[in-house]
Amino acid sequence: MHSLNCLALLFSGPFEPVNLLHDASEFGWKIDETITETTVFVVILFIMTVVWMLWSVFMNGPTHKAVFEDGADFKSWRWTALIAALIFIVVDGPLLVHSTEFMWGTFFDFKGAEAKPGAVRIEVNAHQWAWNARYAGPDGTFNTADDIVVLNDIVVPQGAPVIFQITSTDVIHSFKIPNLRMMVDAVPGTVTRMWFQAKETGVFEIVCSQHCGANHYKMRGTVTVLPKAEYDRWAQVTSVNATRAFDSKDMEAHWGWDWAEHSRIE
Amino acid sequence: MTAQEATFNRQVIEALQPIHAPPTTFWSKYIWSLDHKTIGKQYLWAGLLFLLVGGTLAMMIRWQWAFPGQPVPILGPTVLRSSGGVIGPGLYMQIFTMHGLIMIFFAITPVLIGAFGNFCIPLMIGARDMAFPWLNALSFWVFALSQCLVIGAFFGDLGAAGAGWTTYPPLSTNIGTPGTGQTLMVAAVFVTGVASIMGGINYVTTVIRLRAPGMTYMRMPLTVWGQFLTAILNVLFIPVLGAGALLLLMDRLFGTQFFIAGAAAVKGGGDPILFQHLFWIFGHPEVYILILPAWGIAADLLAFFARKPAHWYKGTVLAMSAVTILSAVVYGHHMFQTGMNPMLGQGFTTLTLIISIPAEVLFLNWLRTIYKGSIRLTVPMLFALGMVFVFGLGGLTGLYLGAATPDIYLHDTMFVVGHFHFTMAAASFMASIAGLYFWYPKMFGRMMNTTLGKIHFWFSAVGITAVFTGQLLVGYAGQNRRLWNPYAYDIFKPLHGLNQWTSYFAFVLFFAQAIFIWNFLSSMYIGKKAEANPWQVGTLEWSITSPAPVHNYDAIPIVQRGPHELSNPELVRRLGRDWVGQAEVVAEEPGAARMAQGAR
Repeated sequence: MHSLNCLALLFSGPFEPVNLLHDASEFGWKIDETITETTVFVVILFIMTVVWMLWSVFMNGPTHKAVFEDGADFKSWRWTALIAALIFIVVDGPLLVHSTEFMWGTFFDFKGAEAKPGAVRIEVNAHQWAWNARYAGPDGTFNTADDIVVLNDIVVPQGAPVIFQITSTDVIHSFKIPNLRMMVDAVPGTVTRMWFQAKETGVFEIVCSQHCGANHYKMRGTVTVLPKAEYDRWAQVTSVNATRAFDSKDMEAHWGWDWAEHSRIE
Repeated sequence: MTAQEATFNRQVIEALQPIHAPPTTFWSKYIWSLDHKTIGKQYLWAGLLFLLVGGTLAMMIRWQWAFPGQPVPILGPTVLRSSGGVIGPGLYMQIFTMHGLIMIFFAITPVLIGAFGNFCIPLMIGARDMAFPWLNALSFWVFALSQCLVIGAFFGDLGAAGAGWTTYPPLSTNIGTPGTGQTLMVAAVFVTGVASIMGGINYVTTVIRLRAPGMTYMRMPLTVWGQFLTAILNVLFIPVLGAGALLLLMDRLFGTQFFIAGAAAVKGGGDPILFQHLFWIFGHPEVYILILPAWGIAADLLAFFARKPAHWYKGTVLAMSAVTILSAVVYGHHMFQTGMNPMLGQGFTTLTLIISIPAEVLFLNWLRTIYKGSIRLTVPMLFALGMVFVFGLGGLTGLYLGAATPDIYLHDTMFVVGHFHFTMAAASFMASIAGLYFWYPKMFGRMMNTTLGKIHFWFSAVGITAVFTGQLLVGYAGQNRRLWNPYAYDIFKPLHGLNQWTSYFAFVLFFAQAIFIWNFLSSMYIGKKAEANPWQVGTLEWSITSPAPVHNYDAIPIVQRGPHELSNPELVRRLGRDWVGQAEVVAEEPGAARMAQGAR
């Protein structure tokens, strides 16, 4: 899927080559594929257009006698209609088919993701300008004493679906992890969802993608992908620590919602 | 239509538009003028002035991305003194918000629709003025009021508007932007909407009622078609934006909670997403509002300077109409990431991609128009070709964003910014400038300098392409839009060099516009006096003197043919020139003319 590296090199004059960001997710290639295949067609169409324009303009200057044709008869306009239809089928067609297939089959397949063993559920509450995240802990229920609560620093396992339910306290934010190829808006009053599965371990940046005020640019978080065993150990230790430090009077720390309630968005 | 009918129709339409004595006082000539040409020029000046303001703001954004947090040259020691010459995050969000709103509502709209719509529609359809001249003047002055509100917003407490041009609540309510600047800008958008509706009603009525006898819909210049369809969209969808703006103003001023949810909501509050629906059901037609007139102007100019009829004129008209209709049902692609139901997302993806069919028809027609022509690379033609080029780039990059899957990666990146700048900014700009060079003689009675025009074109074309391609590339590499310092993220750090180069091109592009400003202003005094028909084309406005007289036509013309009857061999043989006026009566040659007609 990196057949476009030659294209990227084209643009690498005085600055670094440009390409899609590194993809560390299991299914991100599906997004990259729709982008790459569109790029191939777009580049071809663009080059054809420019060549046509240059040829038309420079081959037939003022000395050339203009051919009188208004393209009004069927013989003439059928080509326009045909080429337009062809472009739609060849260029838009695959994009539409793939986009649809990947949307339904993968990115909106929450049922499938939830059913997989080892799936991790995380609730995110965004506010100006940070990401609060909450794991249900061993009891599987959110907003209880054993919840793991983190700020801007989310830890997930490698090779298992990670499902997020996201909301916001104040204004609209957008939870995006470019390297894991997933994003969704954080909207106050609504719970939105997304999921991904990490293929590689590492630390990946969370970028707020919706203008949310002056400090929008530094509403940065990280997602740390750990190997499964390491993640399990982290979850266990952190949960024990969280239970020990739990303060029932700290109302700020009490948030979260019933997970099942929001799984209706099929 | 028989000659008798035509004469009768002319009598009727003449009676509708009696010739008034030309205005004599300064007030009635320049301020409260009812002449559509003067109102067009008023819009032109107002729009060009704000184009300069919006451009300056763009340069500040580009400076920030190239040299984040460093003192801004020229503007730093003058207008930014209070912040020590640097752009802080709070100021930055005001700059990009004001840039977007000013460019869309107060620069492109007045130039492309206000100026060209007013100036061209009556002239090109053979009318003496708009259907409602008084409403027309009111429309401009209401627009001027909205521009005053924009200027006021710059001096508002807590600064200008800062919630982005899309003005999404809750950020745009008192929760995120409590300043008076934001209130004034929302009010300004509402007021300018009122002006647009008045203009729209006028344009639609004028085109329907005041076409000269013989000027059938299928003989209208494509410029008029573009303005007509735009006016229809304006009349239909600006009210939706107006509703959104009013509700938002009530949230800001009177404590309602239409769009507030979350911690600030009382008793459940409202729904922020509702605003996005109201905004984008207007907002997507809006991008076509800003491009349809550009398409029309470019399509006419390509035909004029290729010395050929526009290829498949009817197809172009149908395609433009189809785009107009479809534009109303695709807006959801702006909201794929709001947690939209996937079924809805699927529908919007499909509809959005369908819009590419009429767009392709249009584009292919342009390409066929210039094929095997006799190309005259005049300045308007260069800009028209430039418009085709940049619109091609803008249209093609739209493909990615119309489908829900690639949008997951590209949403809210600079790729989106590059895409809509190529379509809405670059294409509209190119067509506007093309139109200015083209109609300048009819507006001001003199020609603009060709050499300066060509230099201006090359700086503009190369600059625009480089700047917006730079945006596309950093977006492809993932960089988010609206970041005060993109390099706060490790993944965007490698893009600093590319951003700097893009900024250098932007500065050159901006300062090269001085050539245009000089050419535009000086030509009014030192430009070559224009003949009635300097471009040798047949549309009606070129059959009268340059500049056009106050009442346009002494006698309303009776239209004989379409707008681009160029290089017709039969007429070339008989007239000795490759163009023929739309209302020109070519004396019948027994037999021959009939034969020519039969052959068509």
